[in-house]
Amino acid sequence: MAFLLRRLGFYLAAFIAAATINFFLPRLMPGDPIQIMFSSTGTELSAENLASLKLTFGFVDGPLWQQYLTYLKSIFTGDLGRSIKYFPLPVTEVLGHALIWTVALMGTATLISFTLGTFLGILAAWRRGSVFDVVVSVGAIFATSVPAVVTSLIVLFFFGFTLNWFPTGYSADPALDPAFSLTYILSVLYHGILPMLTLCTVLTGGFAVTMRNNMINLLGEDYIVMGRAKGLSDSRVMIWYAARNALLPTVSSLAIAIGTVLGGSLVTEVVFNYPGLGNILYQAILARDYPVIQGQLLIMTIAMLVANFIVDISYVLLDPRLRRT
Amino acid sequence: MQPLIAGLVRNRKALVGMIILLIIVLIALAAPLLTEYDPAARVGRPHQPPSAEHWLGTTRIGQDVFARLIYGARTSLAVGFGAGLLITVLGTALGIIAGYRGGKTDEAISFFTNMVLVVPNLPLLLVLASFIGQASPLVIAVILGCTSWAWGARVTRAETLSVKQKDFVKSAEMMGEPRWRIMTFEIFPNLISIVGINFIGSVIFAIITEATLEFLGLGDPKTVSWGMMLYNAQKASALSVGAWWDILTPCFALALLGIGLSLLNFAVDEIANPRLRTGNSMSRWSALIRSGEGRL
Amino acid sequence: MTAPLLQVKNLTIDYIGDSTDFRAVDDVSFDVARGEVFGLAGESGCGKSTIAFAISRLHKPPALIRSGRILLEGRDVLDLNPAQLRDFRWREVAMVFQSAMNSLNPVLRVQEQFYDVLRTHQKMNRAQARERTAEMLRLVDIPPDRMKDYPHQFSGGMRQRIVIAICLALNPKIVVMDEPTTALDVVVQREILQRINELRRTFGFSVLFITHDLGLMVQFCDRIGIMLAGKLVEQNTAENIYGAPQHDYTRKLWASFPSLHGEPVMEKVSI
Repeated sequence: MAFLLRRLGFYLAAFIAAATINFFLPRLMPGDPIQIMFSSTGTELSAENLASLKLTFGFVDGPLWQQYLTYLKSIFTGDLGRSIKYFPLPVTEVLGHALIWTVALMGTATLISFTLGTFLGILAAWRRGSVFDVVVSVGAIFATSVPAVVTSLIVLFFFGFTLNWFPTGYSADPALDPAFSLTYILSVLYHGILPMLTLCTVLTGGFAVTMRNNMINLLGEDYIVMGRAKGLSDSRVMIWYAARNALLPTVSSLAIAIGTVLGGSLVTEVVFNYPGLGNILYQAILARDYPVIQGQLLIMTIAMLVANFIVDISYVLLDPRLRRT
Repeated sequence: MQPLIAGLVRNRKALVGMIILLIIVLIALAAPLLTEYDPAARVGRPHQPPSAEHWLGTTRIGQDVFARLIYGARTSLAVGFGAGLLITVLGTALGIIAGYRGGKTDEAISFFTNMVLVVPNLPLLLVLASFIGQASPLVIAVILGCTSWAWGARVTRAETLSVKQKDFVKSAEMMGEPRWRIMTFEIFPNLISIVGINFIGSVIFAIITEATLEFLGLGDPKTVSWGMMLYNAQKASALSVGAWWDILTPCFALALLGIGLSLLNFAVDEIANPRLRTGNSMSRWSALIRSGEGRL
Repeated sequence: MTAPLLQVKNLTIDYIGDSTDFRAVDDVSFDVARGEVFGLAGESGCGKSTIAFAISRLHKPPALIRSGRILLEGRDVLDLNPAQLRDFRWREVAMVFQSAMNSLNPVLRVQEQFYDVLRTHQKMNRAQARERTAEMLRLVDIPPDRMKDYPHQFSGGMRQRIVIAICLALNPKIVVMDEPTTALDVVVQREILQRINELRRTFGFSVLFITHDLGLMVQFCDRIGIMLAGKLVEQNTAENIYGAPQHDYTRKLWASFPSLHGEPVMEKVSI
């Protein structure tokens, strides 16, 4: 419990760090930060609107620390300002809608590839040096070293444009109204296949290699030899003695991998024109819509921290040595 | 150091990776000899498919794709190795200092490192790059270097903690060697394989990230690089108009470079961690079993 | 005299290298009688652990048995098929490993580690297994209600006693002990060996005891084999190994315990 509380405190610090970057960056740039932040598109803001935006981002009369506190206050009250491009939509609304798609896409892809990769890694380590091991290892090298942009573009080209098997954009048929109906859900699944395939290709290899190496490092341990000496079945020793222990370092490396997952999914969404955060962000970058760009950093940081916290909890659940304090 | 190099020469993965990397470096260096076209200039009609005149076709504004490919290799390599070096130097220095000094220094560095690790990298880079405006490759390399050292610092620190316990470090301390000398000449040489893995990994990361940032529209349009090729091709809807050569060329180049570097990285990992190796002895072992000369 | 329980005949084991092989065990033969404690001594790397592992066929690539036989009650272990081998392991030959801290699976409760043996070999259900577990833990002075704990909640000596209890759960014919007490401090070491000896008298199993500590060995074993670079160079009763060593190497080993030699090491422990 103390462990988890300490982690929570740490996450709060990390979040504030991200907010601090947001606060100082425009002020460090040459030129007038207000000019930079709020006038990069053609949208003309009324004096009243501009004043409220300035307040949100801490551009108030007063010393820097007072501006900083003003900014932190807006963030902690959930006010991330308004999008310049889609004025007057609040940033939280613009991003919140997109976030659902991203989380669904990313979450499913992470779950699938972590399960699949871990399983492949276990079998590869258990049959080290076999043809299976070589195929998994070499496949993983290929899959992990190719940038997500490249994988998505190649997948889109072959399955979308050349073979025409799958749609090349959107999260569902635009002609359909979002509803909880079978046609709509099927359309969502159909549109999700290519982005999902891309993300799984990018991620599975990394998880497989991590699990394989962690497991190989453990295979010499006495408790595994003892498991075999006890006459247990191969699968029992492989899963409950070797893999179960190798899962601990694998799960902790998952926390770091989440950053890569995020990056990969942003890019994949852009390529597949998927209405998630990545795509919104791409539009925001092209329009230099800074409130949205800054808002995504905070939202992504929160997403990352939540994911990290889930990893922390599962680590505590998986390792009895941490459970009782 | 010696066994690392000797191991690399004998390792098949390392050999293939080295050859791929070498070919790309040579092509990048020899770019002016390999094409007559200026990579930035309009030299043909738009979106021409590959032909004898334009080996890999032309872009939507009539630039020669092959010329852009081989000149772009220079950018990718320069950003990759430049940023990779910066990332490695920062990560290694911070990791060794934190691991060796311990105490408050360690706490401060570790806290900072862990914090950088949980702030998502790409979104952070997007914010930085978007404020900078149109980021040139040099700017991209610098911000990559400054934001991506945390993983390296963490592993280097962990490794330093175990090297620190070794006798030769203890004896150097007894002899009163200054701390910077111990860190540079006693500890660092023993971390060489970790540093190697960190370096190659960082180069891969930098190349991928540079291409990604440029693809997302944060690059300088005047740059000739694989990332800008992707950006321009995507903006020109190259796939939907059937100009596959425009977009697949940088794709395959990035994939090849990534694979070459990864092979090298895995090879270093195998040499540094003998348990991961599946060498000749295993195949001889299986052969003996099969021929009935030994029993399990 | 009845046939010996375990017979190792001309056993030769190689470690297969990238181009040349390393002979870890070279033409070794010895017998262990029923109820006997047989010791294998020698410095680390002499092949004694390799033999210990080979008896349950636990040796792993690149180790390879090139020739020889390992007979338990006349049955060649090397001829067992995988299913027979699984059945044979632990039921006939149980094993205590070197590192007391590390031979229990850290993520499974102690009762689980008993249960998987009892279920695999004796098809016991959970309730029966719990009862048997409690009985075995009592034998080694561990309170049975601690069976729900995880290994990290026990001290090193307790963990090794738990391993011994798991070893005896199926009444094996022989227990192989590969340096079972090296990781423990001297007092605990003695305690454990005394306990093993008592249990051995009660249950009548044999012990193949492996250590580099010759002084410890003469106190504990009936007969001793001395190994040097893969070869068994001398084999005799503990008294003779101590009192009248034949081979040069045995004498050298004794010479490395100068303070002990001549003192009453042989007092056959107060076991």
